[in-house]
Amino acid sequence: MLLAFGVYALARCLILGLNQTNMDNRFAFGLWIFLDLTVIALGAGAFFTGFLLYILRRHELKSVINSAVVIGFICYSGAILLLMVDVGQPLRAWFTFWYPNVHSMLTEVTFCITCYLMVLAIEYVPVILKNRKLRYIPSFLCFEFELHKLMYVLAGVGTFLSFFHQGSLGGLYGVMQARPFAYREGFFIWPSTFFLFIASAMAAGPSFLVLTTMLVEKISGKRLVEHSVLSLLGKISGMILIVYVFLKSLDTMVWINHTSPSAGVEAYRYYQWQPFGSWILFAEIVLFGLAPALILMNKSKREDMRWLVSAAALVCSGIALNRFVLTIQTLSLPSLPFDPFLSYSPSWQESAAFLAVVAYGVLIYSFSYRYLPLFPQERDLEASHVSH
Amino acid sequence: MFPTNFGFTWTPGVMFFLGAFYTVLLVVLTTVSMSFYRAWQSKRTANVDSLRWKEEFHDLPKYDRHCRHEFTGEFRERVCENTFDCRSCQMHGTVVALRTDTADIGEEQYGMSIPADRLYHRGHTWVRTEGRGEYTIGLDDLGTRMIGKADSMALPEVGSKLTANGPGWWATRSGIDVRVLAPMDGVVTAVGTAADDWVLKIRNEHADLRHLLEPREAGPWILREMERLQLAMTEDGMAASLADGGVPSEDLPKSCPKANWPSVWGQMFLES
Repeated sequence: MLLAFGVYALARCLILGLNQTNMDNRFAFGLWIFLDLTVIALGAGAFFTGFLLYILRRHELKSVINSAVVIGFICYSGAILLLMVDVGQPLRAWFTFWYPNVHSMLTEVTFCITCYLMVLAIEYVPVILKNRKLRYIPSFLCFEFELHKLMYVLAGVGTFLSFFHQGSLGGLYGVMQARPFAYREGFFIWPSTFFLFIASAMAAGPSFLVLTTMLVEKISGKRLVEHSVLSLLGKISGMILIVYVFLKSLDTMVWINHTSPSAGVEAYRYYQWQPFGSWILFAEIVLFGLAPALILMNKSKREDMRWLVSAAALVCSGIALNRFVLTIQTLSLPSLPFDPFLSYSPSWQESAAFLAVVAYGVLIYSFSYRYLPLFPQERDLEASHVSH
Repeated sequence: MFPTNFGFTWTPGVMFFLGAFYTVLLVVLTTVSMSFYRAWQSKRTANVDSLRWKEEFHDLPKYDRHCRHEFTGEFRERVCENTFDCRSCQMHGTVVALRTDTADIGEEQYGMSIPADRLYHRGHTWVRTEGRGEYTIGLDDLGTRMIGKADSMALPEVGSKLTANGPGWWATRSGIDVRVLAPMDGVVTAVGTAADDWVLKIRNEHADLRHLLEPREAGPWILREMERLQLAMTEDGMAASLADGGVPSEDLPKSCPKANWPSVWGQMFLES
């Protein structure tokens, strides 16, 4: 029902146009872009787990790679679906590839995301072909067998693409010189947000994988993955998060003391517009950054599933908050003396469209869990559970 | 942006971007094409049944992959990494060479019939040597009880070739297809009827049956299988309660209709 309602809302937006949303020329990015950025960061578990497993040979992660690929596929396909509605005119989608604007970070994002979705779809194929019935079709069996052998190539390509599009999504805000709240200095053509987005996505991906696995374990009432693997994912997430928090703090200091004053605005003034007080900066760096990083870096804490899940939830919330700040707060704040402070709340069509993507994701994941071997350790753990 | 577009100029940025983009596309397309080509080649040349078994074995939980020498106490704990193919296992040859005890066991173990004139496969089939390259294949006692009264059987045609650990035949029970693995390689020469105690007769002049369990190994193996069956029949989220006596009924699906039989059959007949 949710899916049908959302599809109706999506159709209205496609047919009648963006007047169905509460976005306008000034508030051109709304709920969709904020959530797109969030799910793309959360879906980073696919590329990062693939990189760790196939390139760095962390074989323990084999037990979550299938789930990571399905989550990545859902996140990216869902994000692209929403982008398609946001951009509009889907029949002219090929224009972006044939007449790209070379000066736009979004061009790089479009190319990379499209290629990466293709890679994810190819990575999903062997998981589908592992279905018990499909294995009896010799061509499928042989293709799955051979494709699996070359998975490390796709993992490498996925890592390359993800690095650039995660970065460019951040770079997109960092290059906005007319928006001193978002504008950042950086290295060569890349603003600091380019690197911060990569680091934050790498930290959030494993945490989201922990959360989804624990959720499925809770719903199914089964052990699916050895908890040492989840703890390892937590450790990886924590290690990258601590680097991210350090870089983010450094970036914030430079921005407060140099970048923003150079643009003629003292940074404290951004936080005078309620409800975006300085608490948001504290929440972003300390509450959702440093706190979960310290929990995840502590061995005894991350081996306790309650702490692990709480920390992973904080990491994922932190990513959502970061993307919210860069998308919504940036556009709300006035950038010229005569600009008003804008407020935005999504229309029901925008909310329903996103809920449709959530419903789509739940459906795809549920079907995959039901019919495909998402968690290869499941039967081993089940056997050891009932025999003890 | 592209050389055909109006206003296109070759700048370093454009060259880098296009170079990276086309390299990525080329790598992805080459990977997929290579997989297609190699799949086509292996479909033509490799034994698809062996390939499928390799894949399935790889996905079996460790609990289902214990080495046969663990059952006889020759190893305390050992997981098979060799697709249950003892013919190519060096360790198997060494352990068998060290055996001195030749005592046989009785023809019944834990209420299950284990005739001494045949060899046993881990997928619940047996093989009886008839001489002159002829072999008879059937379902073992526990396998027969697990399927019970099948609705129908899909047997291979006479003249078709079987591969050890490939699909042997299919039994349908309550609308569910149960796959039974072939215990050995060979060509089917006859198929049995419901009244027969065997299922297939096959011919193989050069059969190597070292991967099959001897009756003395089949006894402790059956005990392990009965435990495995009870674990497989344990409801989700429940602790197992192992029976300490009695014999499984002749038609287990009829006696325990609430069990998740597709899952039980899958586990017991080694379908991952």
